[in-house]
Amino acid sequence: MFTKWYEKNGKDGEVVISTRVRFARNLEDYPFPIRASANIKKEIAEKVKDAVLNNNSVIATRFSCINMDNIDTGKKVSLVERHLVSPEFISGNEERTLLLLDDESVSIMINEEDHIRLQVMTEGFDLDKAYELASRIDTLLDERLKFAFSDRLGYLTQCPTNLGTGMRASVMLHLPALRATKAMRKIAENLTKLGLTIRGAYGEGTDPVAGMYQLSNQISLGISEKTAIDNLKNITKQLIAQELKARNAICSQTVIQDRVYRSEGTLRYARLISCDEALKCLSDIRMGITSGLVKNISLDTINRLIVEIQPATLMQSIGKNLEPSERDEERANLIREAVL
Amino acid sequence: MLCQSCKKNQATTHIKNIVNGELTEKHLCSECAAKQGYSNVFENMFDIGSFMSGFMGEPSFALATEKHCPNCGITFSQITKSGRVGCSKCYDIFYDRLLPSIKRIHGNTFHTGKRLRKPQLESGENSKSEVKTSSKSELELLSDELQKAIKSQEFEKAAQLRDKINALKAEQGGNQ
Repeated sequence: MFTKWYEKNGKDGEVVISTRVRFARNLEDYPFPIRASANIKKEIAEKVKDAVLNNNSVIATRFSCINMDNIDTGKKVSLVERHLVSPEFISGNEERTLLLLDDESVSIMINEEDHIRLQVMTEGFDLDKAYELASRIDTLLDERLKFAFSDRLGYLTQCPTNLGTGMRASVMLHLPALRATKAMRKIAENLTKLGLTIRGAYGEGTDPVAGMYQLSNQISLGISEKTAIDNLKNITKQLIAQELKARNAICSQTVIQDRVYRSEGTLRYARLISCDEALKCLSDIRMGITSGLVKNISLDTINRLIVEIQPATLMQSIGKNLEPSERDEERANLIREAVL
Repeated sequence: MLCQSCKKNQATTHIKNIVNGELTEKHLCSECAAKQGYSNVFENMFDIGSFMSGFMGEPSFALATEKHCPNCGITFSQITKSGRVGCSKCYDIFYDRLLPSIKRIHGNTFHTGKRLRKPQLESGENSKSEVKTSSKSELELLSDELQKAIKSQEFEKAAQLRDKINALKAEQGGNQ
């Protein structure tokens, strides 16, 4: 088994949990999914599968193919929890197929909002690596599939918001100190002016659980991939610096130290823990580790737990459906063993 | 359907999310959606339909003679209603009518990123040799645009183009 990107800590891992680059692509000769019949979608899925699985690149044999009609809801939700597919992708609609690389770093969603959503994930802060791999696969697939492209508008997509590069690049940031110092609202406002957008990665709305945020580019037409990625890189670097500075400032406060150590106690000893509480505690510990307050727990472990404690993923690993209270017990067991 | 939050307005934004291991759908009016931070995010989970129709203007009365895309059969009213375009040909057929909304979304109307095929060249048998991520053609295209902008005295646009060209040149210089 490969170590998955969400099981390890990467570059600038104190603040950046993961990096994602995704391209929206469509086949020139077929209507977009909204106007395509089930039969046409099936044909598209076959073509894309063939192009991905039967080319002579080194990774072709490492993809597996999952027809979304053939797996149960728990498996589907777990795919979303691991950020391998979008919530949209699992919400009904026929002929949706997923091609997934064995280490789960590349996923190709077929018949989502566009014919193809190609996504590359890496641990830590590594936009260049993610972009390069995505772009190589994209070029390879274009030779076989011929993507819809216009000189003026670039890659043509079902929703005009993705025109141009069809690219959305994002980083998942852990910003507990900026959140605690109430700086996020102002930061979010300024980011909008720069063509970027930030939102909570877990939970709903703008005040996310556990200080996890997703920062991404908003505009894809009239800006090259390189410029969009450089923008995102620069802003991310600034946010990393600000967050670390804020952590430094707040982690000397007794009230914050108390919170971190209470969270450590909870994770080490709790017998029942909900997903939200676990995320909150893991966030505190994460900050505690990077500030030198918490010893003997690695960021790898924390990153892995953030994914493994999610309800559907937890039930997948246990191998059966559980009531919420049973889940809380299994979750507490899982965490206690991991942070021992 | 009424907005789940205020229970007054019509729900126009449908957000799919995973909450506690289950797929949930949230139906909000545009106001409540904005309050909850879904106003300027164009992610897949966000139904942008009503938002787009705001951009594109309400469709005038749907005439029986309304133009259909000859490829996929969609009409412009259907595009504005759903916020989704029917096929790649629609972008040619309805280009002029789509352009204002494209401009409003992106602030731009011209692609400057990756190009696998040379402009104006239909890739036929020799397409293989054309396949490259050509930043040279990007440079050429930008230069053309710049000349046009200077001629038409659009100096702000010209300055932006000049910066783009310089950045691209620096980037290419760095790569060599």
